[in-house]
Amino acid sequence: MTDQRNDDAVGQLISRVALGDRKAFSDLYGRTGPKLFGVCLRILRQQAQAEDALQEIYVKIWQRSQSFSAGQAAPMAWLVTIARNHCIDMLRARRPDPVELDDAPFVADEAPDPEAVAVNTSEGRRIDNCLGQLDADRAQAVVSAYVEGYSYQELAGQYSVPLNTMRTWLRRSLISLKECMER
Amino acid sequence: MSTGHQGPSGHGPQDDIALAGEYVVGVLPDAERREAERRIATDPRFAGLVAGWQTDLSELDKAYEPANIPPIVRQRLDKRLFGSEAGASARIWGSLNFWRGLAVASLAVAVAFAAVNTGLLPGPDGAPDGLPTAPLIADLAGDDAPMAMVARYDPESATLNIVPAALGGAEKSLELWAVPGDGVPRSLGLIPADGGTLTLTEQQAEQLGEGVTLAVSLEPAGGSPTGVATGPVLVAGPLAKQ
Repeated sequence: MTDQRNDDAVGQLISRVALGDRKAFSDLYGRTGPKLFGVCLRILRQQAQAEDALQEIYVKIWQRSQSFSAGQAAPMAWLVTIARNHCIDMLRARRPDPVELDDAPFVADEAPDPEAVAVNTSEGRRIDNCLGQLDADRAQAVVSAYVEGYSYQELAGQYSVPLNTMRTWLRRSLISLKECMER
Repeated sequence: MSTGHQGPSGHGPQDDIALAGEYVVGVLPDAERREAERRIATDPRFAGLVAGWQTDLSELDKAYEPANIPPIVRQRLDKRLFGSEAGASARIWGSLNFWRGLAVASLAVAVAFAAVNTGLLPGPDGAPDGLPTAPLIADLAGDDAPMAMVARYDPESATLNIVPAALGGAEKSLELWAVPGDGVPRSLGLIPADGGTLTLTEQQAEQLGEGVTLAVSLEPAGGSPTGVATGPVLVAGPLAKQ
């Protein structure tokens, strides 16, 4: 099944879950649970915590299904966002960064048009090409932070740079990415 | 700006783009995540930046490999959400909070029958014309349909609730049809895109009963010009007992 067909089916299931349809909820769990469990295992890295997290995530999905926008193009992305946010919240609450982050000054080479960035024009854009235009280690920092749920603290340790340097790197990388994707 | 968590240049465009990205990537410490969530809730422009990042970065979700879930997780989930009660699904349809929730979501379209006032439909005493007295549900769905609907017909109160579950934006109208045993669709009217009340005629109400298929077709704005469905039938489903 293509991603689009899967997304269509998942979107219909979420819409039915919003109507309190338990059968649809069961189908949604069967169809999307393994992927979201993969998210939990990857970010939390502990089986028992991942199981607890998955349960809470589907409670949230049941409760928030009515806020799922009708016609939204990316229902799987919506579900993964709920899962990632839950897992990252668990991590951050579990091991709060002992060091307060200073605000990393940000220097942009070129200011993007604020009107352009206010509009969500990025649907369907591929991020891979734009990541490829960053230095390899900086692209890797963005990807691993997103996929693994690393904190700034962890990233700084991995790249052996001070915390604020790490933050400056990542923020610059994000701005470069956004500029690239809006071109 | 006294929290100490915001950039030195305040909420400049680049700062907000970066902050929204940091939030979605997930690197922020707990306190800054909470602050970003507060802004998402109160600052639509910032929320738009976050949504944009979520769309952009969702390509990276392919890195997550599906994993087998121990069955106990499902059991605990069901117990947590539904307890041990059976038949909660049927009750949900009659739950005031449920229908109120739909209205809040501004998806509910209440269709009131003119027949209510004419006494055409049977009262609680029975169904002299063989019309059902128990509520009927039609789950209107199509394999490749861009939308889905659920219809609930309650003969007791003579109401038909149509809930568009997923609608794309289009300069078209959605027209609701009853398809009784003879297979000839009768229009029940247009489904308001943003909710509202549609009044049916007595003849239209007479078409409804168990086994009658409800169907929704995509028509030119304003509805079918010919009185028969001209556009594709998006979704359809039979009325059946709950």
